[in-house]
Amino acid sequence: MDGRDGKIIRVENVSTTYEGEKRPAIRGVNLALENGELVYLVGPNAAGKTTLLETINGLQPVSKGEVSVLGLDVRGHGSVVRKEIGYVPQDFMVEALEPYTALDVAMMGRYAKMGVLRRPEKEDFKKAMEALGLLGVEELACKPVGKLSGGQQQKVMISRALAKEPKVLLLDEPFSNLDPSSRQEVSALVCRLNEERKMATIVVTHDIRQIPERCRRIVVMNGGRIVADESPEKALAALESCQNIGAEEAVP
Amino acid sequence: MIWLELAIIRRAMIGCALTGFLTGLIGVFVVRMRLTSIGYSMSHGAFAGAALGVAVSANPLSTSILFSAVTALLIGPVADKARLSQDTITSIAFPLNMALAFIFLALSPQIGLSSEVASVLWGSVISISNSDILYLAILCITASILIHFFWKELFTIMFDRRLAEADGINTKPFVYLMIFLIGIVITLSIKLVGGLLVFALLFNTASTTLQFLQDMKKIVLFSPIAGSAMCVSGLVASLAFDLPVGSCIVLVSTIAFAVSILLSPKRKRKEVKESS
Repeated sequence: MDGRDGKIIRVENVSTTYEGEKRPAIRGVNLALENGELVYLVGPNAAGKTTLLETINGLQPVSKGEVSVLGLDVRGHGSVVRKEIGYVPQDFMVEALEPYTALDVAMMGRYAKMGVLRRPEKEDFKKAMEALGLLGVEELACKPVGKLSGGQQQKVMISRALAKEPKVLLLDEPFSNLDPSSRQEVSALVCRLNEERKMATIVVTHDIRQIPERCRRIVVMNGGRIVADESPEKALAALESCQNIGAEEAVP
Repeated sequence: MIWLELAIIRRAMIGCALTGFLTGLIGVFVVRMRLTSIGYSMSHGAFAGAALGVAVSANPLSTSILFSAVTALLIGPVADKARLSQDTITSIAFPLNMALAFIFLALSPQIGLSSEVASVLWGSVISISNSDILYLAILCITASILIHFFWKELFTIMFDRRLAEADGINTKPFVYLMIFLIGIVITLSIKLVGGLLVFALLFNTASTTLQFLQDMKKIVLFSPIAGSAMCVSGLVASLAFDLPVGSCIVLVSTIAFAVSILLSPKRKRKEVKESS
């Protein structure tokens, strides 16, 4: 399952409007990612970064334009496409009394791909444990996930996405609850896995310090549009100008 | 005469154990999948259906199943198609079903509060028949098999429906399946517990079990046992004090829930953590 022209993700002139809203959250967005490409998506708050990720995995319906992942239109093949996408949502926290262990959560990454009626096998547990191991939280496998710290929970959620062995990885602010050293480690891990597993990867962040040197492409969003899709140097200059505009607008 | 009484009590005991098993089992999914408002509306749909059966002198079970099915359709696929939120549709369905139930009971040809009307309202031990026991047993087996086969999907949806959808699980069929199971369980439980109280049994048992256990599989295994124990205890209290069986079962399950809040090891751990 590869997209035409070798593009794994193709977003063409896409607008997404939330139900009950008149103004689209993202407008006229064009984006294409090749196999194994790593893209950091940056921009100020309410720029449309999360909406774009949720439009790519089909959780938000497309109002205009086309989105295809692995050559399939997400409107008609949402569930099929999502089985190949590892997704980590923004700020997902589990309540303290929730009856799920870290291993339970990592295993959920395997479940959708298995298909209905198939029971998990030893191999699935092995893959889930490996994913927890990659994030350094395998010793927490049997702990209730709600009792873990915010950073540990975030690592478990990333493990869940990786346990799936996805072809596409969408990470929405995956470092927000991590301490600085863990941020660097997880950021380096994402880079390494992107290279080794050839996953098309989009990482949303509002903190440009988290962008690793290996990343050769940064997409800047502002006001629901892509305002720059460049090499890091040029993109960061564009981001700076967005933030200056935002700051000027904020002055009464 | 004493043999007849013993036969009724034995049937009631089995009926209670099976009803408790079912409400305990399905209740876990009601609570964890946040279907409480749906369960509430479904129970009143079944109540309205049973009241219609009494009014037209038909089998209350059949009319109750019909009303449950219609309510399940309204709350599930129809609401989704019309893009109505769960809150909106259940807020409409609940008073509508109650209004219909009271109209049907008012139109009932039986004079005063007959035993049939009373059993629809708050349950009755003597109304449990052998065929009811058979239906309950079949439903216990069917529900257990369905949950066993779709466990990993239901488990993932119970954690977070949106995340399950993001993983590629088509959640709608599983949620609809659960809504229909809730409807049938409520319909079959109504004779014993009564239409006004049946929902409490779905909620109380599961919520009690959730206070003690930290493992979802154990919760799903233990909740039906706890449900059976609560229902049988309620029946014993009802016979001992000559009170309506439905009310006694709900009182027992509510006391069990209150005790579980006080004794919950999960809560104690949390309090210790917060104070340290």
